[in-house]
Amino acid sequence: MSEIALTIDRARVRHHGNLLVDVADVDVAPGRPLTIIGESGSGKSLLAHAAMGTVPADLEVTGALRLGARSFDLSDLRGRRSLWGRELALLPQEPAAALDPTMRVRSQVAEGVPGFRWRDRGAGARADAALGRLGLSGAGRAFPHQLSGGMAQRVAFAATTIGGARVLIVDEPTKGLDPVALDQLADLLLEHCADGGALLTITHDLRLARRLGGDVLVMREATIVERGAVADVLGAPTHDYTRRLVAAEPSRWQLPWMRASTPEPAGPPLVTATGLAKAYGDQPLFEDLSLTIRAGERWAVSGPSGVGKTTLGNVLVGLVRPDRGLVDHAPALRDGRIQKLYQDPASSFPPRVSLGTALADVLGRHHVPPERLRSLLAAVGLTEDLLERRPGQVSGGELQRLAIIRAMLPGPALVVADEATSRLDLVTQETTTDCLMTGLADRDCALLWVTHDRDLADAVADQLLDLGLRGAAPRPPAPRRRSSCPAGAG
Amino acid sequence: MTTLSEPMRATARPARRSRASVLTRRVSTVLLGGLVLFAVVGPLLLADPAAQTLDRYLEAPSLAEPLGRDEYGRSVLSRLAHATRLSLVLATLCVATALVVGTAAGILAAWRGTWVDTILRSVSEVFVAMPALLVVLLVAATADGGVWALYVGIALAQWVEYFRVVRARAAVVLASPAVEAARLLDLGWRHVVRRHLWPDLRPLLTTLASLGMVTSILAMSTLGFVKVGLEPPRAELGLMVTESFPYYDVAPWLSLAPVTVLFLLTVCFLGLRRTETA
Repeated sequence: MSEIALTIDRARVRHHGNLLVDVADVDVAPGRPLTIIGESGSGKSLLAHAAMGTVPADLEVTGALRLGARSFDLSDLRGRRSLWGRELALLPQEPAAALDPTMRVRSQVAEGVPGFRWRDRGAGARADAALGRLGLSGAGRAFPHQLSGGMAQRVAFAATTIGGARVLIVDEPTKGLDPVALDQLADLLLEHCADGGALLTITHDLRLARRLGGDVLVMREATIVERGAVADVLGAPTHDYTRRLVAAEPSRWQLPWMRASTPEPAGPPLVTATGLAKAYGDQPLFEDLSLTIRAGERWAVSGPSGVGKTTLGNVLVGLVRPDRGLVDHAPALRDGRIQKLYQDPASSFPPRVSLGTALADVLGRHHVPPERLRSLLAAVGLTEDLLERRPGQVSGGELQRLAIIRAMLPGPALVVADEATSRLDLVTQETTTDCLMTGLADRDCALLWVTHDRDLADAVADQLLDLGLRGAAPRPPAPRRRSSCPAGAG
Repeated sequence: MTTLSEPMRATARPARRSRASVLTRRVSTVLLGGLVLFAVVGPLLLADPAAQTLDRYLEAPSLAEPLGRDEYGRSVLSRLAHATRLSLVLATLCVATALVVGTAAGILAAWRGTWVDTILRSVSEVFVAMPALLVVLLVAATADGGVWALYVGIALAQWVEYFRVVRARAAVVLASPAVEAARLLDLGWRHVVRRHLWPDLRPLLTTLASLGMVTSILAMSTLGFVKVGLEPPRAELGLMVTESFPYYDVAPWLSLAPVTVLFLLTVCFLGLRRTETA
């Protein structure tokens, strides 16, 4: 097959005079992955969409795109449509949301075959073959909601690449993926590259960047601040921002609240669970699980997605009833002393009232003086005018910090964080986690962190419950010492 | 970059549509205000709608009597003012009752679930299965054609719609992480109703209520038209249309006047609806 290189020249994207992207040149050679990393809002996804020609109409785009010998004007959004799927393809963010929920997987993939006609046998066979190659041969008749995050990602990959595009742009593919799914995805992308395809990946996940290898561009505030081979840039960063980005990986955190060793269990028990069992349908999630969370303890529940981590968290909070077993809450947890942080903070606030109104109700109910809210806001670096906005008008990182403040207002004894930072980029994840852990350490509050990120679990928790290790019968979670000098990246 | 591009897309395109809908609402409000003024002030200023002057039978419109006189020589303008007032007052009462009862029942069913939900849903299904006009007719027949029978009948026929919409929507809202968080914060049911349910239901309810006003007014006049609603001497829009039919060729203004009012009321209430903001 022919090998086509992708080049972007002097790409600029403006909105009402604000420069959102200003990138002089990007060269993606066939067979060598190029990864753009950077925090959310740095313009990296917008660059990908400018290359595809899918930016919103009110943005002003200038620059040029070269595909092999042909050249395209970036401001001409329509000119590239005929290339979509056949020569240039985009694997979208959040594939579960990009798939049509009313269509079976097989027909959705078959639609991408060039020259597809309704009830086209040949296209169906090619879709089956493509799904089979990705280890999804049994999933052709499934609907997207029946797939796990990793499977949905692979189906989206099949649908994106079945048109035979040689140039593939991948936009934030790892949101919500556990390490196993991330590895599978990286293998697929590398395979595409090994066949001589060009690959441009946009991500905030340094693990994926390392896994893909090749070259890396670091983007910040619309421009590229550093570029080079992955090992050089991430191993010995020269720009300040890249250094901060690399240091923000949970395995490298050095924060004051981190404990070198696990303290002796001393506090009174808050949650005592005995013989818990829960199943969805005929698939058991956990059986005969017992644990005791004491005041001030830091727990992490880890394991791959779909293993029942969130369900276990909800059972311990008392939101979900276990099939068997008992959960006993100490009196210290009554009256809102047990709080939960959600993966998507926007969904945990009333969507149609201002944040200030929602927080005022919490202040009133728990008799907290408004000064306390003000000091908490100042402590996490948020301004008060944020409170006039609605949840949808605030960024994810800011909103998660507000959710943490809200959880702190009643003076909690236990906070359950359900993947609370998994949608945030690395730097925001660090500041948000720091903000939560400082709040917890101040009041000796217990923590239960549900996460698929082992590095994060190691950083925040003293005791780890790994639900991924199945088969072992009643397994008391082994207290584990966290090394004070973290080993290299995982 | 979804965080950046989505709000932009959301604000860019509906701007034109929302400007048009603001204009529609403004025109509807002005027209409806005029009709309400007519219904409130008219009966106070105009002559007795029942006063008959048989020698001025089917008199054509004039400056003193802008809509002329009917077959008994009664002032059509005065009768129209009384009929409009009756329609508006009765429709408002019916809609308010149906809305309060339906919304309360819907929230209760979604909140409590289990047997409360089962009972309320079964009752509502009985009403869904029966045509709304039949419900009104049944009540009207048992309580021989008074205003009260009409009120109870129409309200009974309409509460189901509020109940079903509110129950479906409230179930989604109550199952959301936001309400779960509110429960964990121990904020109580008042907070859930005020901050979660009401802001979410309000646009649905205003739309349903403006449609409900139209349905009530039309139901009343339909019953008057088929002569099972209110009794003849009373001025009522539907009755006025039927009564004027025999004289359509000599005095078309007799039937056109109530039909125009019905048309305007319908259009104004439909124009008041907001386009739902997602």
